[in-house]
Amino acid sequence: MGFPLLSFIIFTPVAGAAVLMFLRGDDAARWTALSFTVLDLALCIAMLVGFDTTTHAMQFTETRPWVPALGINYALGIDGISALFVFLTALLGSICVLASWVAIDRKVKEFMICLLSMQALMLGVFCALDLFLFYVFWEAMLIPMYLIIGVWGGEGRVYAAIKFFLYTLAGSLLFLIGVIVLYFYGGRTFDILALTEQDLPFRIQSWLFFAFLIAFAVKVPMVPVHTWLPDAHVQAPTAGSIILAGVLLKMGAYGFLRFSLPMLPEASMYYSTLMLALSGLAIVYGGLLALAQDDLKKLVAYSSISHMGFVTLGIFALNLRGLEGGILQMFNHGVTTGALFLFVGLIYERTHTRSIADYGGLMKVAPVYTTFLALFTLSSMALPGTNSFVGELLVLSGGFAANLVAGSAAVLGALLGAAYLLGMYGKVALGPASVGARLTIRDVNAREMAAILPLAVFVLWVGLYPKPFLNIIDASVKHLLTHVHSRGSGQ
Amino acid sequence: MTATTLFQSALASLPEIVVITGACILLILGQFVRKGQEHFLVWASVAIVLIAALATLMLASEVRPAYAGMFIADRFAVFFKFVFYLATLLTFLLSRKYADIEGIGSSEYYVLLLFALSGMMIMASATDLLSIYVGLELMVICTYVLTGFLRRERRSNEAALKYVILGAVSTGIFLYGVSLVYGLTGTTQLDGMAAAVTGDPLDPGLLLAVVFIVAGLVFKVGAVPFHMWLPDVYEGAPTTITAFMSTGPKAAGFAVILRVFLNPLVAASNVWIIVAVIAVVTMALGSFVALVQDNFKRLLAYSSIAHAGFAIFGVAAGGADGVASVMLYLLIYAFMNLGIFGAVIMMRNGDFSGEVIEDYAGFAKSHPGLALLMLLYLFSLAGIPPTAGFFAKFYVLVALVEHGFVMLAVIAVLLSAVAAYFYIRIVMVIYMREPKRAFAPALTPLVRAALAVTAAGTIGIGLFPSWFLKLAQDSVFGG
Repeated sequence: MGFPLLSFIIFTPVAGAAVLMFLRGDDAARWTALSFTVLDLALCIAMLVGFDTTTHAMQFTETRPWVPALGINYALGIDGISALFVFLTALLGSICVLASWVAIDRKVKEFMICLLSMQALMLGVFCALDLFLFYVFWEAMLIPMYLIIGVWGGEGRVYAAIKFFLYTLAGSLLFLIGVIVLYFYGGRTFDILALTEQDLPFRIQSWLFFAFLIAFAVKVPMVPVHTWLPDAHVQAPTAGSIILAGVLLKMGAYGFLRFSLPMLPEASMYYSTLMLALSGLAIVYGGLLALAQDDLKKLVAYSSISHMGFVTLGIFALNLRGLEGGILQMFNHGVTTGALFLFVGLIYERTHTRSIADYGGLMKVAPVYTTFLALFTLSSMALPGTNSFVGELLVLSGGFAANLVAGSAAVLGALLGAAYLLGMYGKVALGPASVGARLTIRDVNAREMAAILPLAVFVLWVGLYPKPFLNIIDASVKHLLTHVHSRGSGQ
Repeated sequence: MTATTLFQSALASLPEIVVITGACILLILGQFVRKGQEHFLVWASVAIVLIAALATLMLASEVRPAYAGMFIADRFAVFFKFVFYLATLLTFLLSRKYADIEGIGSSEYYVLLLFALSGMMIMASATDLLSIYVGLELMVICTYVLTGFLRRERRSNEAALKYVILGAVSTGIFLYGVSLVYGLTGTTQLDGMAAAVTGDPLDPGLLLAVVFIVAGLVFKVGAVPFHMWLPDVYEGAPTTITAFMSTGPKAAGFAVILRVFLNPLVAASNVWIIVAVIAVVTMALGSFVALVQDNFKRLLAYSSIAHAGFAIFGVAAGGADGVASVMLYLLIYAFMNLGIFGAVIMMRNGDFSGEVIEDYAGFAKSHPGLALLMLLYLFSLAGIPPTAGFFAKFYVLVALVEHGFVMLAVIAVLLSAVAAYFYIRIVMVIYMREPKRAFAPALTPLVRAALAVTAAGTIGIGLFPSWFLKLAQDSVFGG
């Protein structure tokens, strides 16, 4: 065991939060939080540089006994799939701090502590190789997120926070039962890698599949358990929305990749049609809902439901293109939708309205803002040359190969996406400037630019040259696929 | 009984002797303590408990049966005794300032707590239905008096009266069960009972006796259908006594339940079905009724019913892991529940009662540190990691699934999702409301110390559960 890089990545934000506890003054809090998140990002880049893309094996592993009596270890490690999300989490971490710089003007220190603990826990989820450890990270996130929405959110924050908390808790608790059942059937171990090597009877797999499905579907979120998401997004402060859309929603899909597929391959294959149907439903239904929204944040929130439908579609297509596309689309959605929430936040700080009808002609007063908004809108629409195009194309080709109807639903969803996104952009940026907008809107400043630029870089980088990103996940995805197909075809 | 066996017996019960003798001495000394010198009483009581703890620790190395099979000093008892010491010590620390504010000047307060402690200790060590009865009565009579200690308050008097009457009825039921056992088997010893019935199908009369005994015990832990007294008594009693009752005597009740349930007589029968039903109903009732409470103490009373339900799930699971899960649950519950009660007690200052949940609106704004502590206890009670409350629930669920009760585990977690709502509702009031008035918590060094200990336990066991888990597991088969 060499240098415990992953522990450092997880505990750097914790150290930041600890330092913040003893600090006074809002600016000190902001700068400290920023320094620690940037340091964490640097560690993650170092991790990516040292990452071996030729193997599917877990890397940078660490194992220490934690509760030996129950076989629980503090075990960390990453493969290609987790590496991408560890990096995404750290990237969005710094951007969240920048996005909250002036938007959060009371209890700044406490907010930054919540933000940093959130980041540590999310990183922990992606690095954990022990089910118990995973669950602790997964569930502990409820505390800071509840506070972020409930203390710093908008008008209806209390309702939204409690709804978020209870939905996720109820889902996670069933997951916990699933974990414990898995522990007993899988030879009394919480070791994720050992559990993927178990051959469970199909009956047990089915039960576990649905227990896990409830937990992950709430997080993704899939229709019909999606109703907490618009409330949480609309009420959360900008940074909260970025975290929710950028990382939290990915955890559900990550759960499918890390647990459902490898541990329950037979059930995953057996129920894949059901999952494809649910994904198609989410894509179309989410798109239709987004089309009907006047509130900017709600529009982006509902579009998330649609976009995450693409992700689950790709995963349960259970072929190489579908899986790679689904995973890449998770990353893309984090970048693009994170950016869109950032943009909604920027404009809301200036005008204190999120109603699309109040805007118009922003192009004239804030050209830089609208230019970048165009980039991210086009990316969200999956225009060629942007990141989502690559992901969506892979998902569609995988999806059509798996199921014609689900593939067609996805195409319909893509069309709907073009409709609501172009409609939104047209109403906000083009046309005559609204009275209110002309008076109050400044263009983006340097600090905001610092938050926007990295995201823009990734939109174009993945869009024009996706190879490095696909390289990271390639070996792991291929291994996962072989594993599922060889074990899952037993029935 | 020869001198040697008498000496051995006395040695095995040394901690009990220390506490009872100490309490008697303090009862006399208390008459000479002048007003304003009550500090002496607190420190003397703390010293007595510490000496008893030391004696317990010294005797922990081996199993010592004593008093002709009436009493045993084993690791099971040691574990519970330490839970009792913890609950009592923290109650002492929390009581000093509260007693001043409420005008409780008399030394009997501390003495009665010590006697209650000795009753609980006897319960944990009792291996005979009669010695269980002696310990039980010693404990509850003290808590009857303590409940009514705020003599000028009507609520307190009413609570005490209610407690005495219902408690007497439950004792009667328990004794009736004991007499049935004696009539049918000719013995009251737990081991003797088991020996008398091996082989044969269980006599319906014995089953009836067990049901009576269980009913009497279930009353003490506040499980459905014998829970009705609990919210009123918890609300009416001095808050320090409520904190004490919800942890110490409740753990003592569970100690006896486990002793009876470790007994093959019960293990052979199908009593576990009744126990499972009691667990489900208790937890459901506690969780749902707590949702609509406005009074903090009443809410915690219902929450304590719900937690008792969760612990009974561990009893229903049975086996070594089931028993160990209940023990660990009670230890963790003592830390987090005394913590949250400590916070409520600290709010009692001047004309501020701290009993209405609305009183806490905006508490985070004026006292961020204390609010963070309350947040910790509340999330632990709700069972969210990385707090100890999560691990307590987790281990009960492990025991349930291990014995094949997956459906029970699912019911348990769904009900705890309901229960989570009222804990986070308090967090919401603390963090998300604007303060209505200024707070001046009654924070003395003693209260601070109590809060620090409970916080350390709540977060410490959550992060490093290994040692405590092993302790509980080792204590199951200690005797």
